[in-house]
Amino acid sequence: MTSPNTPGPERLASFIPATVGPYLSEADQTFDAETIFGYIDGAGEVYRSYQMKLLVARRFHKDGRPDIVVDAFDMGSSADAFGVFTHDLEGEETGIGQGSRYKAGLLSFWKDRYFLSVYAEEETEETKALVLELGRRIAAAVPGQGAKPGLLGLLPPAGLDPGRVRFFHNAALLNYHYFVADANILLLDQTTDAALGFYGAKGDGGVLLVVGYPEDSAAAKAKGSFAAAYMPEAGPSGTVRTEDGRWSGIRLLGRTLAVVFDGPTEASAAGLLDGVEELMKRSKGRDLRLKKE
Amino acid sequence: MISRKPITRRDFLKVASAAPLAGAVLPGLAVPKSKPAADKVRVVLVRDPSPLGAGGAPPAEVVQRMLDDAVCALLDERDAVKAWKTLIRPDDVVGIKTNAWRYIPTTSEVEQAIKRRVMDAGVAEDLIGIDDRGVLRNPVFQKATALVNARPMRTHHWSGVGTLIKNYIMFDPRPADYHGDTCADLATLWALPAVKGKTRLNVLVMFTPLFHSVGPHNYSKEYVWDYKGLIVSRDPVAADATGLRIIQAKRKAFFGDDRPLAMNPHHITLADTRHHLGVSDPDRIELIKLGWGEGILI
Repeated sequence: MTSPNTPGPERLASFIPATVGPYLSEADQTFDAETIFGYIDGAGEVYRSYQMKLLVARRFHKDGRPDIVVDAFDMGSSADAFGVFTHDLEGEETGIGQGSRYKAGLLSFWKDRYFLSVYAEEETEETKALVLELGRRIAAAVPGQGAKPGLLGLLPPAGLDPGRVRFFHNAALLNYHYFVADANILLLDQTTDAALGFYGAKGDGGVLLVVGYPEDSAAAKAKGSFAAAYMPEAGPSGTVRTEDGRWSGIRLLGRTLAVVFDGPTEASAAGLLDGVEELMKRSKGRDLRLKKE
Repeated sequence: MISRKPITRRDFLKVASAAPLAGAVLPGLAVPKSKPAADKVRVVLVRDPSPLGAGGAPPAEVVQRMLDDAVCALLDERDAVKAWKTLIRPDDVVGIKTNAWRYIPTTSEVEQAIKRRVMDAGVAEDLIGIDDRGVLRNPVFQKATALVNARPMRTHHWSGVGTLIKNYIMFDPRPADYHGDTCADLATLWALPAVKGKTRLNVLVMFTPLFHSVGPHNYSKEYVWDYKGLIVSRDPVAADATGLRIIQAKRKAFFGDDRPLAMNPHHITLADTRHHLGVSDPDRIELIKLGWGEGILI
């Protein structure tokens, strides 16, 4: 089922060309969050984790040449379109859409509330050119622009690696990007928003996680859970030196929780937490969490 | 000077919920002695350097020989047919659970090699089924008394790796019900009535394993390699744990570091420690290696 606010598959399909180069397209396949497993098996959980609404898949075929597959996802919001794009940031930026990556025959990009994957089953000079052409034509057909998640505005920009910023909701994807614990000690779920930033040239300046919870009480409960499991010895400063000599820290800011991992010094960990607090003050209490439909 | 990376609380919070960290030794603890072979679960890894065909498998006669050699070694028999007769009875109804994934399937060469030996064990051809997504509707599988489980190993966006344990997910009409906690409890599939106690052999196909996943389709030719192997065991967990070691070794060789799989394949360890389906600890696995040794990785 698609939500009432989700346009039907016809609109999504209208963004995809019928032909590219010598390739003709086959009949579209349409999937929602319940039926996606019939298309990509358990990998569908990644897109469900970002609240996907609809997927239109179109395969392009030319005898004797590798197929090209377009998967167009309506994620329901630009924040989740951006988020699912950040799930896999391997490859080179191509300038397509509002952010893109291309590597070995696979182009992914996001624009407005849509996430697009254009995939050649084998990379050749021809398929690479056609994949990029398809991407450019699809991006041009999507009329709008989408906003990135507001929570990203709480990541202090100094030292942040902009090519490694992630946005997600649940603990499985936190561990995908940065393993914290098998148990869900930050109490993340589909109602929480999380932004993850890596600082320094190779993340050696620390890792900052900012989580928005639905309520102040939920954030406070998560802080208690995390502190008990991860840093029980932390004092009032909310920072602790871990076994590898790095520093972790935590700070509760209303319904937002900021956590630093692997800071090189106590001052750097505290500095990132101070930075989040300062940015929150500047946001003047605006709700930076993703609006749910 | 050799630097040793300390075990941090993040390592501990991974280890504590699953099982002993294979190969990791906490400071102050003695290195455990290996168990004698008699206490171990046997796994056979067989490889052959023959070129792979367009479908990703060696020639059919090579696959048959690889399977025969592995089953003989597994069961301490000299004759393959005799060995299979210890696995399959003439009155069995046999389902060969395969895997039809578009990019790396089980391959018809493996399916037919298994089928031939099942027939050699005395089972009529019409009482042998080969199926993946249709097992619940397949009349042979509906009345199967024995299963042979055969699938390729590959990395997977949600379960970490696609495994023999996971291959039975099509025996439940709601596969997504097993996706919780990144597929932690896939081993419960093996308690389904259509499956429980029926598996006679597990064949993990390692002809062209996928060692890294990208994109919605989870596949890139860049991340497969010609390993040209089969892993055979009565124990699906031991076979999967062995395959995983090969995948991890390949990742280390390719990427140049110990980067973890995108998703923790903890369903293998939990199949052992939580569900007692089999053995995941390499120290409790007797690994017999046959054939081609170049690039074996473990």
